[in-house]
Amino acid sequence: MGIAALDGLDITELPSPPQGALAVVHACGQDDMDAERLGDLVEQVPALSVELLRLANSAYFGFSREVTSISHAVGLIGRKGLKNIALCIAMKSSLRPDQMPAFPIAEFWESALRRGVCGRVLADKANLEKDTGFTTGLLQDFGLLVMFYLSPQIIPEWDRLSALNPDSRYELEQQLFGTTHDYVGHELAVAWGLPDELVQTIAYHHKEPEQLATESSIQLHKLALCVDWMAAAFTAENHHQAIKQSRKLLSEYYGMSTDAANELMNQVSDGMLETASAFGIDVAEQTSFESLVGESHLYLVQENLDFQQMNWHLEQSLEERDRIADELNRELDLAREVQRSLLPAASSELGKIFGLNLSAKAVSGDFYDYYRLANGKIAFCIADVSGKGMNAAILMAKASTLFHCIGKSIHDPSRLLSILNHEILETSIHGMFVTMVAGVFDPETRKLKISNAGHLPPVIMRGTNFDAEYPAEAPPLGVIGDIDFPLLEITLEQHKQLYLYTDGLFEAWLGEGQRLERDGMLKLFGRCAMVKPQQRLQHLVKDIRDRGGWFDDDLTVLLLES
Amino acid sequence: MTYLVEEKDGFLLVHLEGDVDLSTSPEVRKLMLDCLRKKPQLLIDLSQVSYIDSSGVASLVEGYQLSKSQGSEFALIGVSEAARSVLQLARLDKVFPIYDSLAQRLQHGSI
Repeated sequence: MGIAALDGLDITELPSPPQGALAVVHACGQDDMDAERLGDLVEQVPALSVELLRLANSAYFGFSREVTSISHAVGLIGRKGLKNIALCIAMKSSLRPDQMPAFPIAEFWESALRRGVCGRVLADKANLEKDTGFTTGLLQDFGLLVMFYLSPQIIPEWDRLSALNPDSRYELEQQLFGTTHDYVGHELAVAWGLPDELVQTIAYHHKEPEQLATESSIQLHKLALCVDWMAAAFTAENHHQAIKQSRKLLSEYYGMSTDAANELMNQVSDGMLETASAFGIDVAEQTSFESLVGESHLYLVQENLDFQQMNWHLEQSLEERDRIADELNRELDLAREVQRSLLPAASSELGKIFGLNLSAKAVSGDFYDYYRLANGKIAFCIADVSGKGMNAAILMAKASTLFHCIGKSIHDPSRLLSILNHEILETSIHGMFVTMVAGVFDPETRKLKISNAGHLPPVIMRGTNFDAEYPAEAPPLGVIGDIDFPLLEITLEQHKQLYLYTDGLFEAWLGEGQRLERDGMLKLFGRCAMVKPQQRLQHLVKDIRDRGGWFDDDLTVLLLES
Repeated sequence: MTYLVEEKDGFLLVHLEGDVDLSTSPEVRKLMLDCLRKKPQLLIDLSQVSYIDSSGVASLVEGYQLSKSQGSEFALIGVSEAARSVLQLARLDKVFPIYDSLAQRLQHGSI
């Protein structure tokens, strides 16, 4: 029998209680039933008679004289007391150890007894009779025993379940059995015709109390809830949480201080052995509540220590992070300095050519260079490395160094790019490439030779007007080998300017979702044409920013004046 | 950026969608290299690419270079206007084999 059977609980499968004891329970609920008739009924149930006499003479009731007859016991204990005793005995007899040989039934009754004792010590606070508190506690989780009876294959999970706090245990029951002890307990209580209030408490003790109709039902509900947590304080692996929750509930429902709650819990451990002996239940040695509180304090101390250690580790980590960040920043500063040194120094102004480089990050993948050759001509280049960050910066350093060195001896831009392509292709990784325009300008003749490896088209302006542009005819450096980089030879006539730029300018933002693009860039060159060449490139940037625009990429522009 | 990989007519097709930029290109790179290891016929569908920057182009270049070195096929199909203008400006449209669609690639002969 498994979860499916529990799902649609069949009451014919449920264990049945001894009918005699149940008859006594029902008789106790009838107002016209006197002690003598009740005594007669009890005497017809030998097991109940023996238990009743034992109880009446036990410390549990503490009567001063020995009780020798059933009618005397019934008279002393009263109708309500008898009803509860009959009920407990009926339930306890309904499932015998031989019916569940693999289940540690003694452990279950011990935990049920602990709930009973919790209910008994709490009854006063809840304006309930002690016996009612005891019976409620004892029977509120009886459904769980029946669940194990119906699904014996889940018995190995008992240890895990019994070590949990009420809420977690309830969730695990749902997972393991597909149902919970309140549902099964309720079905059973209805089938057996148990008193209404007990049926209600069993059914609702894990639900909200608002669902209950009468004040006494609500009191029973609160008691059952407290009982669950108080008992867990003694059995759950996480004592600390159960103690905390018990104190919280006792304070909330009964206005009890922590000391009063502790006192109540002490009564539980004290009352366990006495009650167990009265009801003939075997229990293990009991841990006192005081020692549990001690463990809980130790746990708190440990938790506090862990917290302090965590804080300490966190502080250490933050210091380490700051140290590494400082170190990285120093390294980046150095890298930036090295990169700047690769650009022409301001003092190397040649009167005809001007450059600007702004990095979006600490280091840049863009660069430009120019220098005067021995023959008086000006060699120049602009380049953009794919990607951004440190890997782009390193490739930029390599490409610019190659240009700076080899360009001094190879004056043909086309041949120069072929050599650079070969060098970069040999060592480039991850498909990284360099777009580059290399050129040589003769200030005497205004003859301009340029070659373009996949870079954005050089633009020639005549003052404020666009004159020409020259799109690349070869791919970037580092993509494929053995290709030609066509050479373009033009004359940069007087009053004309050559603009070389990277996509940082092309893709400058003018507003949300609006980029400068080619047409905007040509207008920008036109607008700034009247500014002196020495200041014009800075003015391009200022113009964009003054219009509310911004740059989010590396930006490099090179201007050659005829 | 999102992507979808499918196998069709003997090719592995990688459909890219959205922005292929500095933040997404490492994923594109890994995807293409994994695909090339699985199958030596790889087509990258760029029809839904809204933006591609130089790091994205570098990922395509790496896929192309690897396919050349191992003698496999790497081509672009259905290149969107945004991607086409970037490739054209850098003259990379002359480097990558580019087809309008898988059907057009199939017209150029079998694998």
